[in-house]
Order: sequence, then structure tokens, then C-alpha cells
Amino acid sequence: MSGITRWIALWLCAIVLITNSGIAQERTAVKQGFELSANSGKKILLIRPKVSVGEQSTGGLFEPNADWTDKARKNLDAALFKKQGALGNTVLVSPEAYGDQALVSEEYTNLFGAVASAVVNYQFFVGNRLPTKKRDNKAGVFDWSLGEGVRNIPGAQGADYALFIYNKDAYGSTGRKLLQIAAALGPGLAVKSGEHLGYAGLVDLKTGELLWLNADAAMGGDVREIDGAEKRVGQLLEEFPGSVEAVEKAKQP
Amino acid sequence: MKKLITALIATVIASVPVSAAPKSKVVAAPTPPPYTGVYQPQGVDEIGLWREDDERERALTNSPLVIRDEALNAYVKSVLCKTVGSDRCNTVRLYILRVPLFNASMSPNGTMRVFSGLLLRTRSEAELGAVLGHEFGHFENRHTLQQFKSARSGTDLLSWAALLASMSGTRQSYQNFDSIRLSVYGGLARFERNQEREADLLGLGYLNNGPLRPHAASRVWRNLILEVEASSAARGLRKPNFNGVSFFASHPPDGERVNYLYALAAPDGEGRDDGTGRHEAALKPWITAFLDDQVSLNDFGASEFLINSLAESGWTADLWRARGDLFRARGNPRDLMNAADFYAKSVAMNSELAEAHRGLGLSLIKTGRQVEGRTALERYLQLQPTASDASMIAMTIASSEGK
Amino acid sequence: MTAVIRNTWVLTALCLATVASGAVHANAYREKDKISKIANSSMTVTPPRDWNRLTIKPGKYAEVWTLDGEQLNDVTFYGGVEPGTPLLRERNKKRDPLPKFTTTTLLVEVPELLEGTYRAHKKIGSFTLTNTQPGQFLGRDGVHFTYDYTDQDDLPRKGEARAVLIDKKLYMVTFDAPRLHYFNRTLSDFRTLADAAKIAK
Repeated sequence: MSGITRWIALWLCAIVLITNSGIAQERTAVKQGFELSANSGKKILLIRPKVSVGEQSTGGLFEPNADWTDKARKNLDAALFKKQGALGNTVLVSPEAYGDQALVSEEYTNLFGAVASAVVNYQFFVGNRLPTKKRDNKAGVFDWSLGEGVRNIPGAQGADYALFIYNKDAYGSTGRKLLQIAAALGPGLAVKSGEHLGYAGLVDLKTGELLWLNADAAMGGDVREIDGAEKRVGQLLEEFPGSVEAVEKAKQP
Repeated sequence: MKKLITALIATVIASVPVSAAPKSKVVAAPTPPPYTGVYQPQGVDEIGLWREDDERERALTNSPLVIRDEALNAYVKSVLCKTVGSDRCNTVRLYILRVPLFNASMSPNGTMRVFSGLLLRTRSEAELGAVLGHEFGHFENRHTLQQFKSARSGTDLLSWAALLASMSGTRQSYQNFDSIRLSVYGGLARFERNQEREADLLGLGYLNNGPLRPHAASRVWRNLILEVEASSAARGLRKPNFNGVSFFASHPPDGERVNYLYALAAPDGEGRDDGTGRHEAALKPWITAFLDDQVSLNDFGASEFLINSLAESGWTADLWRARGDLFRARGNPRDLMNAADFYAKSVAMNSELAEAHRGLGLSLIKTGRQVEGRTALERYLQLQPTASDASMIAMTIASSEGK
Repeated sequence: MTAVIRNTWVLTALCLATVASGAVHANAYREKDKISKIANSSMTVTPPRDWNRLTIKPGKYAEVWTLDGEQLNDVTFYGGVEPGTPLLRERNKKRDPLPKFTTTTLLVEVPELLEGTYRAHKKIGSFTLTNTQPGQFLGRDGVHFTYDYTDQDDLPRKGEARAVLIDKKLYMVTFDAPRLHYFNRTLSDFRTLADAAKIAK
């Protein structure tokens, strides 16, 4: 009945993105004291990633493209699979859940979404930061949790950690790109062409603590291509605890 | 209030043919084409929409807002099947959501969402079937895809306009932007209106072909008009003009639609069964809860209209109690006197209805009748000693004793 | 249907406001043991631990305190709501009014007032009052109550609140959080904060 108004609402949000594109950048945080060594034999439960790929029209509407989404999912899955070795640990795919089990999984996915957005809004990015989180930043404190109830997530019994991944890619259409150029030449406004948003979070399945979160509102890598998906997974899982890169980085003085 | 509503009903009835066929060129909706069976999405846009829709449905199946009562779900599904025929309805996945608004929708992949607010507003299988059939009509004609393509070109235009406005930066240019925005939205709304007519035609086609009385469709819209008018009147708004083509009405102007829907109904369907009794029986376990959801929305006129329309088949203790709650919540002195009166009627019909005693007691205390009020609250505690607010009510009784 | 369209206009206004103001204002620090006035009323709070106060106020008499963001723990103070006014800011006074606190509102009816406000404001169909009993707030006899609801983000939440009527005005504090983890985690912090609320004589 009102599908059209939803699109209009989406468009309106795109308006907000005009002039604001300079703010959000990439941030990673690790819980203080958390360390995961490579080849520790830990099992990581991969919660069904949210993948959504489409085109951004001139008006900023998100147009889902199933072909791209399909490709991206396949490429990202393959890239994740390939990356596993570099993660230094075993990745398990979450089982298909039904009934009450599915409700539990869904509620935790929604909670992860709420927590990730709170981290992004109130701890990571300037402007809207909560004063207590600003202080946490200075002290190197990163303290967020989904609670011990995460043990009830289907598949949690056989794993040590859960990895949540959220990906949304909107590629700018030709019209959008022209608008971007015209806006920059004219009033000097920064119109965003395309949107590439990603969260990856590692949650301790015993305590529910968010051990590591990577949030990026300007991700690189074209997930429709195999190479791009690998680059994306590389970015999302940059400094992933226990990964080869992280271990090497830690060795540096 | 009652007088006002009676007057409103009289006004609308005067303009709406109820028993006589209208003088119009519109003829009964034709039989829909044979069902083509399971459809698969085609083209990039459509496949993309289905994929997103599948994701949304995944989330929907797990939503805490979904009412999982099997009997109620089976009933609503059966009404859809009676309306559109079993070959069409078999592929539909139906979800009833606890949302107190008049709405139903059907998305491209065959997911139907029915809001509890719709169930509260239909009085028969035929009325419910009319709305469900209309939504199914959108689905069968794949309107979401067309809407999507139309919305895309419309908002593209808006973006350029916003840019141009910001480039000149004068008040005048912003005003121009505003008028462009209106015309784009107006264009979208007009586009939707044509789709609404198509869906009406299909919806009535299903009804004409099925066992239910097709004339119920126009009744649903007539009642919605009356409700909107009652709501606006109670809020002191000017009466909405249903016959004027409003820019933002995504449905055809409602007054016109009542006539149109009536004319689309096959004349020989007039004598058919409405399924009023079956509808009432199927909704009985839920109707009070749905009505309470509505009363809590703070839309006095609409709630009062709905209570009165439910009472057309006879007042019940629950209806009087709900009406008491409505008036007590608004809380003007005269409302409180009325509320006390309504609660008294409720307990007269069912002396065991604890909630009515509670409302009665509170209304009486608020209007200064402490002794009677205490008696009613004590009765509430007798009937429901473990009520979630029992100790607070006991304190209310105690503190009213000093007055 | 029209409601959705109206909301779109609200969104337009919000978007334009954001663009016009240029930047989002910083949220305020509420430091441990430092007295703080609530919404220009005679209610004050000396927080027993550090909190944050959001800059965006949900109503004339209301302000929101949080530890981790309002979606995870939301403590809303209502400082002296006047009779004839709603608890939260109305989106549209005429078309979308909220229930009003009145001179005849009884203490036992305050939970119903909050329920009506949430249902109308959030347009939700699921809200249940789970317990209502006498209790102290601001050092006087008032009401304590608890409730459950599911908001539009499909995340079921629990709530706990305290209220009192003083000189025909309503003073209240509510705590809302997802029932998963966050409610229990912040409950004792909420209670000690509510205990620390005072009113000037």
C-alpha cells in the first residue's frame, strides 16, 4: 500500500548524506586485554552475514540488484573461506534455525545491530560522541556486550566466538555521478555517489562481550568481483584478532 | 458526540447509495483472467526486489509482532481463499501483525501482511475479503515493480532540483524547489491511484466470482470515511474533503470510490452471504484486545466511532468498559461523568468484569464520589486480588478515606 | 497510509534541520557527585556515577540520560509536567496529539498515561504493564511500575519507572532497555540514580 513512501523516505535520508560525507571513516576497536593468538584452535561461528548490493540512483534511492547480491554473497563467502587460514582459526557456518531457536537468533542479530550503531554513533565518530565514551577512548577502553545469553544462539555450543558481518553496497549510477560532479563544480557540495558500509564484530560466546568491532562507512573493493570481495573481506577483517596481519602488527614496536 | 456521529452518518448516507444501484456507466467487474500459476521474477529490477523481499520475510517470520494464533491465521487465510479462489491463495504466506492501524499489503514474492487494525474494522467475511482481494490484485498485477520504476525517475528529478536550488540560494529558488517537490510527489500519487483502480477492478472481480457478497467492498470504504471524519471532527479539524483530488491521497478520492466499488459489484451478488456470524465468532478471542490497542492510540473520534459501530450488533460489557476507558483517558470533567456512567452499564451487564469495577471506582473518586468509588475499587480487588496494581489500588482506597 | 506520508514530512523537516544547523551538537557530561538540574525544574539529581545527557530533548519537561546510547539504555526524567500538557513533544498538535496529564490524573493512573503516550507516540500494538505498586520518589509517596513493549526496531524492551505528584505537577523517571542483557545490566545503576533525585523545597 505504501511502498512508495518508503522509497521517498530513503531518498530523504540520502539528502542528509549530501554535505556530510566527510565525517564517517573507518574505525576498529578491540576490547582491552583481549588477545587471540593464531592457531589457537578456537572455533568462530559465522552468523549469516547481511549482504545487500544495489545501485544508487541520481536521487539516492537504493535499488537492490539480486544478481549483484548473489555474486557478492558468493564472492564474500569464498573470500571469507579463503581468509580463514589467515585468520588463524576455524570458521563454522551457523546452522539453519527454526521456531523459537530462530527467534533467539533474530533477536540477537537485532541487538548486535543496536550495539554496533551505538558504538558507531556514540564512541567512534566525532560530533555525537557521548562524553563517557570519549573518556573511554582516551583510556583505551572498549566495553560493549550482548550478554551471556549469546550461549543460546543456535550453533553457539560448538564454538568459542561469533562473527557478525553486515555489508551494504550501493554503487552510484551514471546520473548520480554526474550530479556529484555538478555539485562539486557548482555550490561546492559533496554529494556522495555510492555508499559502502560494513560492520564486522567478534563476540565471545561465553560472556557475550564484543571483543572486536570494525566499522567502515567508506569501504573499498567491488564485492561484485572476486578480487574486490577479497579486498573487502581483507578490510572488514583488518586487524582481526589472531590474524597474520594483526600478529605482525603487534610485533612492531 | 452521539448526535454528531448520527449527523455524520446521515450526511454520508445521503451521498452514498446503499440499496439502489447508482446511475453510473461503471458495470460489474469482469471475471479475472485465469490464474497463470507460480510466477518467477524476470529482469534485474524484479529479481532484486524479490531478493530483498525474501530477506524481509525472513525477518518477518521471526518478528515478535506476528500473531501466531493458529485459529486466527487459519480463519483469515480461509477468507482470502474464499475471495480469490484456492488456486490463487495457496501460494500466499500470510502474517497477521499486532499493529493498530487500518492496513494490509502484499509484496512481490507473495507475502501478505494483515494488520490487527484491519481486523478490528471489518464486520464480515465479505468486508475482510474485499480488502484482501484488493491487495491480492496489486500482487497479481505486479504493481510494486511499476511503482519502483516510477519512484526512481521521480526522485532523480528531485535531486537535480535540490542542487539547483542550493546553487542560487535565494528564497525564491527554495520555493521553486518546494513546488517541484509537490509535483513529483503528486505525480507518484496519481500513478498509485491508477494502480488502485486496477486493483479494485480485480478485487471486485474475485468477489463477484466467489461465494461472498461483493457489495461489502463499498461498505468498508464508507466506514473508513466515517471514521476519518469522526476522528477529524473530534480533533477540531476541518472536515476532510474526500471528493477533491488531494495531492497526497495515494488511493482514489474516497467518496468517489464508495460509489465506484458499489457499481463494480455484480447485482446478482446482493443476496449472498456476508459471513457476519462466522467473522464475529472467529474474532471473538481477539476483538477486545484489538479494541484496547485502538483506544490507547489517543484518537478519540475514531475510537468512539469504532466502539459505536461494534455496538451496532448489541452493546456488551466489554464495549461499555472500553468506552469508559476512552472517556476516562481524555479526562475532562464531563468525560469523567460519562465514563462512570459507561462503566456502570458494563458492570450491570457483567458484575464479574474486574476492569470495569476498577474504571468505575477511579472515575467516581475523580468526580468526588469517594464512598461509591471505594466500594467499586474494593469489588475490583475482590475479583482480582492478584492484579498487577492491587497494592496501588489499595493505597488509592486508603488515601481517599481522608477526603 | 496518510500517517506514513506525514512522517515523511517530519523526516524532511528533520533532514533540513540537520543540514541547516550544519553540525550535530555534542552531548553533555553528567559527572559523578555533581548536582544537575533537570529540564529547568526544581528537580535535581546528583548522579552516583558518570552519565551522559543527550542534547536532543524528547519533550518540554523531559531529558534523556544514557550510558551507552538511548537504544541500549534510556533514562528519561520528566521534571514537573504541567496539567494539560503531554509527556513528550507532539509530532503534530492537532493531527497527532498525545494523551495529556490533567489535574484529575491520579497517581495510580500514571502508568496508563505512560502506556498511552508510548502507544500513540511509537504507534505500537504491544505494551503491557506488568506491575504497579506504591513506592517513594523524590522522598515522597508515589508509584513504582514496570512494563514490557516491542518497538518498531523489533527489539523487545523492558521498562521500570517511578512517579510522584507534587503541587499538581508530575515528576517521573523511566528506564527503558532491550530485555536481552541491557535491562538487567543497567537496572541497579538506574535505581541508584533515581534514588539520588531530589526536589527543592
